[in-house]
Amino acid sequence: MFRHNALRYTVLVLLASGALFQAFTAEYFGLEILTEILILAILVLALDIVAGFGGMVSLCHGALMGVGAYAYALFSTKAGVAPPVAMGGAVAVTGAAAWVIGAIGSRSHGIYFIMATLAFGQMAYSYVFQSPVFGGDDGLGGISRLDLSLVGIDLTDSRSFALFCLAILGAVYGASVLILRSGLGRSLTGVMHNEQRMRALGLTVWRVKADVFGLSGMIAGLAGTLAAQHIMYISPGLLSWTVSGEALVVVILGGLGTLVGPLVGAVAFVVLKHEVSALTSYWHLVVGVILIGVVMSRANGIFGWVESHSGAWIERRLSDATRDPEPEEAVSDA
Amino acid sequence: MAHDLGFWTLQALNALQLSMLLFLLSIGLTVIFGLMHFVNLAHGSLYALGAYFAASLAAIGGYWMGFFLAPVAVAGVGILLYSGLIKRMRKSGPMAQVLVTFGLIFALLDLTRIFWGDLALAIEVPALLDGRTAILGIEYPTYRIFIIALGLFIFGALAFVLGRTQIGAMIRAGVDNDAMAACLGINVERLFFIVFCVGCALAGLAGVVAAPLLSVTPDMGLQILIPTLIVIVIGGLGSLKGAVTGSLIYGFVQTFGAVLAPQLASVLIYALLAAVLVIKPVGLFPAKG
Amino acid sequence: MKRAILAALGLATSFALPAAAEDIKVGLLLPYSGVYAALGNDIEAGFNLAIEQFGGETEVGFEVLTEDTEVKPPVALGKAKKLILQEKVDVIAGIVSSGVLGAVRDMVHGAGVPLIVANAGNDNATGAACSPFITRMSFSSGQVNRPMGRWLFDQGVKKVFTLAPDYAGGRQMIGGFTETFTAAGGEIVGQEFTPFQKTQDFGPYLAQAKASGADAVYVFYAGGEAISFVKQYDSFGLKGALPLYGSGFLTSPLYVNAEGPAAEGVITALHYVPTIDSEANATFVEAFQELTGRMPSEFAVQGYDAGRALIEATKTGAKDRKSLANALRQVSFDGPRGETSIDPSTNNIVQPIYVYETVAGESGLTQKVLAQLPAEKDPVNGCEMAPVSN
Repeated sequence: MFRHNALRYTVLVLLASGALFQAFTAEYFGLEILTEILILAILVLALDIVAGFGGMVSLCHGALMGVGAYAYALFSTKAGVAPPVAMGGAVAVTGAAAWVIGAIGSRSHGIYFIMATLAFGQMAYSYVFQSPVFGGDDGLGGISRLDLSLVGIDLTDSRSFALFCLAILGAVYGASVLILRSGLGRSLTGVMHNEQRMRALGLTVWRVKADVFGLSGMIAGLAGTLAAQHIMYISPGLLSWTVSGEALVVVILGGLGTLVGPLVGAVAFVVLKHEVSALTSYWHLVVGVILIGVVMSRANGIFGWVESHSGAWIERRLSDATRDPEPEEAVSDA
Repeated sequence: MAHDLGFWTLQALNALQLSMLLFLLSIGLTVIFGLMHFVNLAHGSLYALGAYFAASLAAIGGYWMGFFLAPVAVAGVGILLYSGLIKRMRKSGPMAQVLVTFGLIFALLDLTRIFWGDLALAIEVPALLDGRTAILGIEYPTYRIFIIALGLFIFGALAFVLGRTQIGAMIRAGVDNDAMAACLGINVERLFFIVFCVGCALAGLAGVVAAPLLSVTPDMGLQILIPTLIVIVIGGLGSLKGAVTGSLIYGFVQTFGAVLAPQLASVLIYALLAAVLVIKPVGLFPAKG
Repeated sequence: MKRAILAALGLATSFALPAAAEDIKVGLLLPYSGVYAALGNDIEAGFNLAIEQFGGETEVGFEVLTEDTEVKPPVALGKAKKLILQEKVDVIAGIVSSGVLGAVRDMVHGAGVPLIVANAGNDNATGAACSPFITRMSFSSGQVNRPMGRWLFDQGVKKVFTLAPDYAGGRQMIGGFTETFTAAGGEIVGQEFTPFQKTQDFGPYLAQAKASGADAVYVFYAGGEAISFVKQYDSFGLKGALPLYGSGFLTSPLYVNAEGPAAEGVITALHYVPTIDSEANATFVEAFQELTGRMPSEFAVQGYDAGRALIEATKTGAKDRKSLANALRQVSFDGPRGETSIDPSTNNIVQPIYVYETVAGESGLTQKVLAQLPAEKDPVNGCEMAPVSN
């Protein structure tokens, strides 16, 4: 089960204050990067729930985010639905799609599950790429942001929009913790560790997997509606498997199955990419070498490394009540 | 549009040629996975490296120099990767392996751009294999027949080595149960090393033979990765039979899909993959039941 | 180095000063990584060459910033916002892919920043989605292919099979050709669109073309796909019985050498080939070869003319965003491609189209110009915008 410890709280507070500081002081491009990080963070939370706590390593979360973005765009521009309703609808549609994928994939494990999700993601990508309804390769423009002028907030302003995304990220984080602590979340972790045992206990394993995958899909869809509103333009590239691959890299880089780690990973990945690509067009090389370096250090990502090195020390000082379990090994016997 | 028999023969040969190219790539990947439980996402990058080495070598000594030396060079890169990275990654679990090979994809992509530039390179078909040959009542490009023959030859050779030789028996034992194989006195580490190098060489070979057919570009490795993964997952991991079946399925579905249902051409293979995984969650012919 | 420039720019905020020698800040928005990196580099080389050659003709100086779009629309839009809102550039040039153009269109239009398009050929960008701030110095998909329909019919080709990648650009290119070819009396006997950037083996489609009973095949492919296509077309022995025609990107100088002898005899049409016989082109080709050691491609000339257009615009005294945009719409000059001008009713370029055959030359493949088809304005296509103000 997911527990907070002193270190996790500390990092969360640091991240939140860092984001707030950036949101109020940054110049234009700084806000762009901040918003990009926040949206990616929501996506990787969704991925960490299924991959880190359920062993369901998905290569279709990018596509799910894309489904959310396209659904929002279609509802709000073509069907003329009010943006808040469009957002809700998009989240529901993505959740339903994810539930189906989770149900179908529930019998597959390890690399087979990865490939099954990849197949569904690529199907969505190819379909959107070809369909004129979705604007094909040229994408869809003219997407509007949520209108919060009733409460005096103008989301067309980048600063307000960044803060809005931060608030949603906070809510999503809270929801993720609740999901993981619920009966459903505990069942999921049980399934990850020993599927046979859970089945013997009378649990409908495929339902648990499908339900959690559906919830995770809803979060990914929410990230998609924000991405569409942020850029106000969407293109099929959003659904490509490389987006899912990058999200997975961020989760592993940050620390799989820690929820806090992927947030750290999102910050590290986006900042690294921007800093390096400003210096050289060969940023893939630098990022690639850093990824290899992180893995060779044999830690469970950046956060896992911090946790294993300083966790004990901080805990001794700050807390004696909650003891964090060892970072769970995902798909240990895939 | 009504088509005659020649048309379908031509398409069947096209499908077979694509299948054999994919077979060269997937067999290395699937045996490495079966034996070492190692997901090498950078396998496609090795294929691209093979094509680039071949392009450089062909510029010096013609196509055949590239054909024979480029796979050796790629195996050399494989040795470096094995001793530098993969040996240490053996016990790290699949997540770390995904991450490290993802990093390798990034790094190798840019290294090819630095060494060979962004412009597409090309290799000419060697004079010996240029032109067309009459076969089954139609004219078919000789070079494509060569690819089909090469694929069948490699398949035969591997079937012989895996099925009839001692090292083949050792590899099969390792795939079945590596701990037990080690107890029986098989040097599993050395076995891994050999299989990894041969797999890399085959990926390089696939790059060499694909190069005159396609263009040599930095992203060719990324483009071939997904089809290769689909092949080995449909076929089932770790088995020769799976790799060859998966390749044939992919080649024929892709080719005849493009002819019979062009609207669905790009979605079809993914739908098939999903269907296979629903019916048989571990692929058609996995090495381990 | 770029970092240092950026840091220095952080201080420069005043731009309303009427100083005559004030630099014009240009943002180049191009792909330097990803599949179109080679195009980005060619366009930048051409652009810089124009600034170097013609910069002396105008009083203003230029300060050029570059940003990598990675051929990803969201990334490109972020970079465009950075250039406009943070760097406060006066003008943006570049844009290779139509997807990227679609993404930045509303941004530059809304912010009133002139954008000189140096490649992206989406018909729509100078049609229904046109903007007084967006001027295209490259081509439109329809423009390059439309003249070929009539020309090919006049050559005695009556039945054609077409092939192109399945995306908006591919459909527009083939659409432009089909429109005039059928209007002239020709017949399209088969039409296939191949999955974009996922098709490596064209064998299945080539067999269909062969079985279709066409007199010729007309295609649009570019980049790696063009190389694979031309080589596979030749290897199936189709070139003799079924001549290959197409949009000129198929045998662009940028990658024709990778196609090798397979490209010989292929006849295509494009807005530029390096063998155009004119003084302006000779100067350009010589300078470009000196710089890079290669023949310039159509992409290089697009960058070059984008730079040239900017200089011509500043010669009218324009130096802020609004006046630059207005001046760009009236640009006309005699460049490497011949008489080149902007049609102010769509802001698309008006230029002659060259039909050329790829032939073996002394040092590798070269382009033999068969015909120069007269420049035609694109149809207005739903473009509505304010006329040029004088």
